[in-house]
Amino acid sequence: MKAIELSSLGFGYDEALVFDGFKLDVGAGEFLGVIGPNGAGKSTLLRLVAGLLRPARGSIRILERDLRSLGRKEVARAVGVVLQENPFAFDYSVSDVVMMGRNPYLGRFQSPGKYDREAVDSALEFVDALFLRDKRINSISAGERQRVVLARALAQEPKVLMLDEATSHLDIAHQQLIARILSELNRQGRTIVLLSHDLNLAALYCSRILLLDRGKAVACDVPERVITAELIRSVYGVDPIVTRHPESGRPQVMLPRDATGPQPVSD
Amino acid sequence: MQRRLVPGWVGLILLFISAAALSVAVGPGGFTGTNLSAVMHLRLLRLALGIIAGGVLAVVGASLQGLLQNPLADPFTMGVASGAALGASLTLVLGRSAGALAPVGGFAGALTTMLVVYGLARVRGRVTVTGLVLAGVIMSFLFSSLVMLAMILGRRTLGEAVYMMMGHLGVVYTGTSLWLFAGVAVLCVAGCAWLFSMSRSLDIMSSGEEAAETLGVDTQRVTKTVFVISSVLVGAVVSFTGAISFVGLVVPHLARMLFGPEHRRVLPGSFVAGAGILLLSDVLARNIVPGGLPLSIVTALVGVPFFIYLLRSRL
Repeated sequence: MKAIELSSLGFGYDEALVFDGFKLDVGAGEFLGVIGPNGAGKSTLLRLVAGLLRPARGSIRILERDLRSLGRKEVARAVGVVLQENPFAFDYSVSDVVMMGRNPYLGRFQSPGKYDREAVDSALEFVDALFLRDKRINSISAGERQRVVLARALAQEPKVLMLDEATSHLDIAHQQLIARILSELNRQGRTIVLLSHDLNLAALYCSRILLLDRGKAVACDVPERVITAELIRSVYGVDPIVTRHPESGRPQVMLPRDATGPQPVSD
Repeated sequence: MQRRLVPGWVGLILLFISAAALSVAVGPGGFTGTNLSAVMHLRLLRLALGIIAGGVLAVVGASLQGLLQNPLADPFTMGVASGAALGASLTLVLGRSAGALAPVGGFAGALTTMLVVYGLARVRGRVTVTGLVLAGVIMSFLFSSLVMLAMILGRRTLGEAVYMMMGHLGVVYTGTSLWLFAGVAVLCVAGCAWLFSMSRSLDIMSSGEEAAETLGVDTQRVTKTVFVISSVLVGAVVSFTGAISFVGLVVPHLARMLFGPEHRRVLPGSFVAGAGILLLSDVLARNIVPGGLPLSIVTALVGVPFFIYLLRSRL
């Protein structure tokens, strides 16, 4: 079973195409990392799969069904998304925010029921944030807020979970906590797609990594074959030191102190 | 929040009842045997108009603040009110004795403005909330100037323009406009109920349009529906009362203070509070100065200090 299937995908914001003839298969139960420089098309890819953007050409299939044939609520039941920025214009309680994740299951005039409230509590418990349930969303810390938004996505009970830079402005403890939660979800059978600038985090937790550069898949393979000095240099334009993680053997990237290599490739 | 629910509602309903009672009981032209029924007739119509106008402006203000994710939005952000004022002024200027037709002209102006703003905000088939705000604000400036221009060219007194721009409940009803008002009242109640039915979508939209779409909300449909309902309701109200400011801006904040941000509580709360506050303002406007004041002067005098308090206590 395939979770996500993109074939001959074409998309552009203006005249120039970001993706042209793009192809990608993500198997059910995979933990895919998507890395690449700014402007590589990571967020665009996520928005296409989540149905936020419409492709100009090609097809997108989610859980073996054509995205175009799915209603918005059906997509939201299949795919949960955690975006990088989560501003709240008004100060909802944490449990209200997570309850928003039940929207795809509720009719217009239907109030949340017992099952919905249980789903909210268990989602909050899963991200270790049940103690926040009566707090206000704008009064908790960034790390707590990111867990709450993750819980909201979990309340959607999606088969596929996609995260856009979900850990980028969190401290290392919160990064580790989020990564562990994602690993646990993956062990339970969910498909995870993690967009990240954090190469080391991606290498440590993902089963496969897609390296994007200007809308092209430069590589898509196990971390050992993607996080290599040659590929990182050719895509990011830095001269990295690649070592092994002492515990897991996964590749880890470090930067030399004095840059001697080529300058960053412009977007 | 939960525990403030009951006292909040009790307070609002007391406010509303006392405002309604004052509105009927107090005013120039006291009760005497001969004119009792005539005075009652006028005051009850004034009461009904006050309830509808205050309720609708507050509910629309709350819905638009939710939709636009902007606590500074109000019913006039989308430009409809000034379009209605322009339509009503043109009817007055061109129609000579067409005073009774001013609401019709006002409503036509409101609907025209709605279409223009919608058209300007539509880019590549998508209507964005930012586009609606920008187009609405620009059109407001244009139409407010055109109202003054029409009034000057039409040799009308600026007093009439002031009442059109700043609101009043002293509508002179004829047979036709009474029926018009009944229609507007039904329309307004139905529109508010429709907005209420979109409460959850509005809640979710307040965390951003993209996030809302990933949660299964059809943000394009919600945006368009709220915009159209709001414009029609505000146009209908404003064509009778003129542009009454501050109620639609401040009352939703009061409702949120009492009930928290969820629209299923904020919208009904705003309706009751908006009606009560508008009636109280009208009582003041009618009685502090002989001859009465435009309503927006009073709503601003009451609304601005409250808004400043709110601003300071939240920072």
